[in-house]
Amino acid sequence: MSEPGVPLPRRLPSSADDADRAALARVAAGELDALELLYDRYRAMAYAIALRITRDATLAEDVLQDAFLGAWRHADRYVDGRGSVKTWLLAIVHHRAIDAVRRRRPTTDLPEPEAPVATPAALVMPDIFAEVAGRLDAAAVRGALAELPGPQREALELAYFGGLSQTEVAERTGAPLGTVKSRMRLGLLSLRRILTGEGDAAVEGPT
Amino acid sequence: VTGLRCDDVRELAPAYLLDALEPDDADAVRDHLAACTEPHPELAELGGVVPYLADAIEPIEPPAALKDRIMAAAAADLAARGGAPVVSPPTAAASAAAASAVGPPADAPTQIPVPAARSRRDWARWGLAAAAVLVIGILGASNLMLRSQLDGAEAYAAAVDEVVAAAAEPGAQLAALEPAEPGGPSGIAAVRADGSVVAALSGLEPTSGTEVYTAWMLASADATPVPMGDFTVGSDGVGHLADGAGQAVPGLILAVSHEPAPSPTAPTLPILASGQARPPATPDQPA
Repeated sequence: MSEPGVPLPRRLPSSADDADRAALARVAAGELDALELLYDRYRAMAYAIALRITRDATLAEDVLQDAFLGAWRHADRYVDGRGSVKTWLLAIVHHRAIDAVRRRRPTTDLPEPEAPVATPAALVMPDIFAEVAGRLDAAAVRGALAELPGPQREALELAYFGGLSQTEVAERTGAPLGTVKSRMRLGLLSLRRILTGEGDAAVEGPT
Repeated sequence: VTGLRCDDVRELAPAYLLDALEPDDADAVRDHLAACTEPHPELAELGGVVPYLADAIEPIEPPAALKDRIMAAAAADLAARGGAPVVSPPTAAASAAAASAVGPPADAPTQIPVPAARSRRDWARWGLAAAAVLVIGILGASNLMLRSQLDGAEAYAAAVDEVVAAAAEPGAQLAALEPAEPGGPSGIAAVRADGSVVAALSGLEPTSGTEVYTAWMLASADATPVPMGDFTVGSDGVGHLADGAGQAVPGLILAVSHEPAPSPTAPTLPILASGQARPPATPDQPA
């Protein structure tokens, strides 16, 4: 899978990436203090994501435990060049938080409890993660989200922060599924344009 | 949902990247991408920005106790994998035991090596002192992953569960049984408040004939080993001591030997695995 590999220029330089990679390599070797280091570095971001999605402190703690233990056990699955360790960790947290809330919902098919957890989508992403894996400040991202047309922003937020599936977003917003798909697509494209400064800000779409 | 076409994947890509597909659809996309030879540039185009969404959230400090849970669970996981450094006894008695383990004199065959303090200081911090936390972690309903991964062997996992449940009881102690030789058998054991001992080991040779494995206890490194009970091992290499007759002594040393016949009065060397029980104390809080 080829990809354009356009770097996002507003990426903050992150020498922490290298330190993280070194720490993750030590995690893969079974060194607990390296896990501790990564936990301390990303616990607050991870917890905020988990809490935002689950809206349940206990569940959010379980999500963090599952996620960091997953990282502990599978640190060797991290692929250098596919993004930063931070991205990798937080994608696992996000994925598990979504899993946790979906499991709690009775309408969704329950995964087999012992079934292996699927790799988060973000972890099979192409190399662009290597380019964009830095950290934007929260204000920049919030500002970019605020620039999106309302329906696009709503679709992204309900999905990413709300943990809703696209079907559930459609139900929640009363929009047809096809429209929700368009909003998600356009929202992601717009966000990218805004954050990279490429072209015009928002992509107006059929809403 | 099976057999997605590339166009289907393109349509599902935004939700896929946002973790917003139903599980079956997500699996179908994943399967397609694993097999597809066509480029899917939309993934990078749409997905490159997804990790930034996390940056929009203000960080929130999790409870401090969560770290203890996670580190203890990771430590237990390390122990359950076997072969890894397990206990770093910080006590003077244990240090003495460790020293004596360096070269047990031939005329003192009852001395049982206790795992020496290792360079992995983190074990001293997070190891079994966090047993109580570990129990929460392993028994936590959501913690399916750790349970399933403790070992591939279901029998071992079940035995480990039993040990962990025992360690959860008030007054119980937990011991990691470290292999005497790298890659040798290892496991964990719990000493209940009433002195009964439950242990789980993996990597043992199957027993045959009258052979048994015997679990031993020592009140200190120099004490005479006292047998706690025998168990046999099948082809899965899993050993399970269900109700050993131990003692609720703080820092009790536990050891396992391979015996030609049941009910030995002294262990047949070498000791295969050993460890020191510790009460589930609060782990040190790192600065």
